[in-house]
Parts: sequence; C-alpha cells; structure tokens
Amino acid sequence: MTADTVIIGLGNLYLRDEGVGVRVVRALSERGGLPEGVETLDLGTGGLTVLHALNGRRRAVIVDCAMMGEAPGAWRRFGPDEVQSRKVTMRYSLHEGDLMQTLELARKLGECPADVRIIGIQPERVEPGEELSPALQERFEEYVRAVAEEAG
Amino acid sequence: MSRTIDINVHHVTRVEGHGNIVVRAKDGKILKNEWQVPEAPRFFEAMVRGKSYEDIQTIVSRICGICSVTHSLAAIKAIEDAMGIEVSEQTDKLRILAHYGEQIESHSLHVGYLVAPDLLGQKSVVPLASSHPDVVKAVIAVHRLGNTMMEKLSGRKTHPVRLVPGGFAKLPSADDLLDLRGMLEKAIPPAQAVAATVAGLLDKIPDFDRDTEYIALVKPPTYPFYHGQIGSTDTDELVPVQEFERVINEYMTPQSTAKWTRWHRDAYAVGALARFNLNADHLLPLAVETAKQFGLKKGCCNPYWNSIAQIVEIVQVIERSIQLIDERLKAGIEPERAEVTPRAGTGTGCVEAPRGILFHKYSFDETGHCTGANISIPTNQNHGNIQKDFESLVPSILDREQDDIRLLMEMLVRAYDPCISCSTHYLDVEFV
Repeated sequence: MTADTVIIGLGNLYLRDEGVGVRVVRALSERGGLPEGVETLDLGTGGLTVLHALNGRRRAVIVDCAMMGEAPGAWRRFGPDEVQSRKVTMRYSLHEGDLMQTLELARKLGECPADVRIIGIQPERVEPGEELSPALQERFEEYVRAVAEEAG
Repeated sequence: MSRTIDINVHHVTRVEGHGNIVVRAKDGKILKNEWQVPEAPRFFEAMVRGKSYEDIQTIVSRICGICSVTHSLAAIKAIEDAMGIEVSEQTDKLRILAHYGEQIESHSLHVGYLVAPDLLGQKSVVPLASSHPDVVKAVIAVHRLGNTMMEKLSGRKTHPVRLVPGGFAKLPSADDLLDLRGMLEKAIPPAQAVAATVAGLLDKIPDFDRDTEYIALVKPPTYPFYHGQIGSTDTDELVPVQEFERVINEYMTPQSTAKWTRWHRDAYAVGALARFNLNADHLLPLAVETAKQFGLKKGCCNPYWNSIAQIVEIVQVIERSIQLIDERLKAGIEPERAEVTPRAGTGTGCVEAPRGILFHKYSFDETGHCTGANISIPTNQNHGNIQKDFESLVPSILDREQDDIRLLMEMLVRAYDPCISCSTHYLDVEFV
C-alpha cells in the first residue's frame, strides 16, 4: 500500500553538495524511527519520476540542493507557491529537471499531494566529488532533524 | 534588401553547459551554422577508478537519472566480460525486462513531454496538460508502466540496486511478474492512443531527409537492445562490441568540448531510428502495425522521425515483455546468485540506451579494483550527425522567418533525445 507521506531526496551524489537531498534521505532511512506511514525515497536525478512518487500521497517532503541566494549551508522550508523557478530549461533534453515544473504538472493532473513542503539547502560547491563541503557537513544533522520534523 | 539572420540559443548553467545553436547569415550567405556542445559528464570515469567491481554499477547508475538501468547494465556486462562470468538464462531475461522498462519510461517521456508540445503548438508539457489532458494522461499511463517495471525488477524507480554482477541481489517473485503482465496488457491501449495522436500530426513533422549512416546493435532474428554486435547501415560487417573503439573513432573539433565520433563517413546516428533501420525486419506484429500506421519504413533518413521510431519501439517492447514474462512464469523463478571471483582483466559492455548505443569499458586489477574506465554515451555519438543535419537543413530553410528557423533547429536537436546536463538537478528559485 502507498504510504501516506513520502520524503523524497533529490540530487547527484557525485557532485558534492548537489547530492545533499539524497544524503539526508539516506540518513533518515538508515537510522529508522520514522513514524508509520512515512516512506523515504532516493530519487537521485530521476526528474519526472517524482511525478509517480507523489501520486496517491497526502503529504510530500522534498529535500534538494537549492540556489536561493542564501549563505552556503543555510536551509529554508517553503511550499511550491512561495517560490518562482529561475531555471531556464532549453527543452532539448529530458534530462533538465525542474522540480517546480513537475509539481505544477502533478497539480494539473490532480495527482499532487495537498501538502507539499520543500527543504532547500544552499550549496557551497557543486562540482565532481563525493564529499559534502564543510559548510553543509557542519549543519547536516540540522537538515536531518528538520526533515524528520516535517514528516512527524 | 539586406537580410541578416542571427540565432544564438545560448545558455550556460553553473556547472555544465547546454547545447548551443548558433547561426549567422547575411544576404543569403551562411557565415556560421554550428551545434556547440559541452563534454558529457566524463568525471564518472575518474570517479570509478580505485573502486571495487561490486560498486561500479551503483556509481555509474548516477550518470543519468533517465538511463540509470542502462548504465548499470552496461557496467555489469563489462565487469562480467572482464571477469569471465556467465549468467543464467533467467538472469539474462529478467535484466532485459528491466531494460525494456527503461525504454518504455524514457521513450514515453520523450514523445509525450518534449515532442508532443511541439506538434500541438505548446511551449511545454505543463500547458499541454490543460489543452490536451487526454494525450498527457495516456503518456503518463505508459510512463508509469515503465517506471513500475524498473522498480519491480531493479528494486528502485531510478538508480537500481538489485542489478549486480553475476545476477540479481534480489529476484522478483512470480507474483511481481504476473502483476507486471497485467499492467503491460493495460498499457497497450494508451500506447496506441499516443501513436494515433502523433500519426494525426505527421504534417507538423518537418519534411527533411539526409542520407545518413545508422549504427545499432544487431542480432538476427531479434530486435535487440541488450545483446548483439555492432552493425551499420553502410556495411554488412558486424563488429564485436569489444572492438567498439574502431567504430566510434572519437575525435576533437574546435566548436565543441565533447569528443565527436565517425565511422564510414564524417558522422553517424544512433538511437531508435538507427535500431529501426537496422532491425525492423524483426519487429513483432503490433509494432509492425504501428510502423505501418505512420508509413515508417526501413531506410528512413528523416532525423525528426526518430520520435516515430520510439513510438514503434514502445509497442515492440511492451509486446516482447509480455512474451518474456510468459516464458519466465512457465519456467518458474529459480533462486540463484552467481558467485563472482574477481580477477584482473579488461571488459566491455554494450547495450542500447533509449537514445542509442552505449559502451562501457573497464580494467581491473587482481583484487577487482578498477584501474581505468572509458564510457562512450550515445549523445556524444550523435553530435557530429546533428552538425551535419544543420549543414544540410539550414540552407534549405534560410528564406524563412528567423523564429521558424530556430524552432526547426531546436526540434531537430530534440528529436535526437539528447542527454545534456542530466547529472545536475538542483533547484534555482527566488522567493515571491
């Protein structure tokens, strides 16, 4: 049966801070202790796969690296209506993901959970590598707690 | 009257570039006409060096969120080639089924989310969901099938975890396969509905032909995505996948930081149309019927029709998946996990990604740690061909309005279903 709440981590694990969303979701999943009816999903760079992960849920918490003009390591919680995407997609390729567009599509299809919260984490470095940068490493536990609270 | 055309579709993200279309013409004379592309994420080749053979497929599955099963399978085949591992028929067929799931997923996304908005006069799939909800719903039904197949067989919706060298970390159950069979049957009508919609819009697809060399896996009497040798429409020679470097002949060009490829000519094309042109004789009945519906025949050299070939392939792999499941259900799912003993060596894996033939090659030391990697993705193999298409297309449309020229060029690039800037995903937002 589809869990009522889904926590989705997005990003590329091999581009340092880009993968922070996936790392947070992995930490939550490995540590356990989430309430019943909460599922965690590492959707990596799956783009529109998010659409299917949202379908049939009441609540979604999405964690992703986000350029928000904040200091590196800062995080913000927001809903889809509180932001506007600045991403310019060329539409050449399926591979340009824009979560905000995916959420809009889900809404139009009547498949978007009523409650969608995004935890955006401002990166310090998006470049090839497997480690988070120090600014994000320092605050990692804060991100994990914040996401767990959203899903609590 | 003096007339200047200046097209510069140029956009660079913070991490990787997108492809740029640059055309400059004055008074009917073309001064510049270029497809400029950045290198695909080659950093994965560096990332796997020093890693154990057990981890390679998990890492390279992150090269692309759309083709993650494909990259995993190419890596696994290369590892098995290097270490002399034979897998069971059951493993082989179940992997093919997972791979078909990805073809369905990717093709339906491409046709529905990128191509259909062009044909129906919308800027993207978001407004299309309002103007043509039935079309979008049919696309999503097929897309969802692909996603579920990948999940049931590889353990995840994307970035698989159950596909491992030697077999499966966890096998699907007979019930999983039975469920999938039902879903596959149910997906045939929406797939046919998508086909019918696009077939009614063929006049919107540009009429442009350029004689082209097409390259794909070939394995008569099948329409292969996972097995076979490298074939070309220019020759009867079939090349073992281990010799792929003599097919791709990578070279540098000043207009791009990506390596381009060529075999018998200056460029070649890979992808659904390449597979169709080489293997159409081995399509299953429903797929044959779908190709007929469009009038798609072997020898088609209109690159825009790659999307049509993708629709035919969606039907083909649904049909073939049902056959494969029936075979597996009859044979029964046997518990198994092949043992792998690491050894030093070099191996190659080749599979058809949804967007064309993909090569992975790795070397390992005696403990099974990777000492070198070479990955050649289909999008890189298509860049030279896109440039050749531009050189033929632009002179023939130079009398049109600048916006029309730009749109036709963008549609051409889209038809190749390229994998550009796919390894980053981050949000870029401002608060309102």
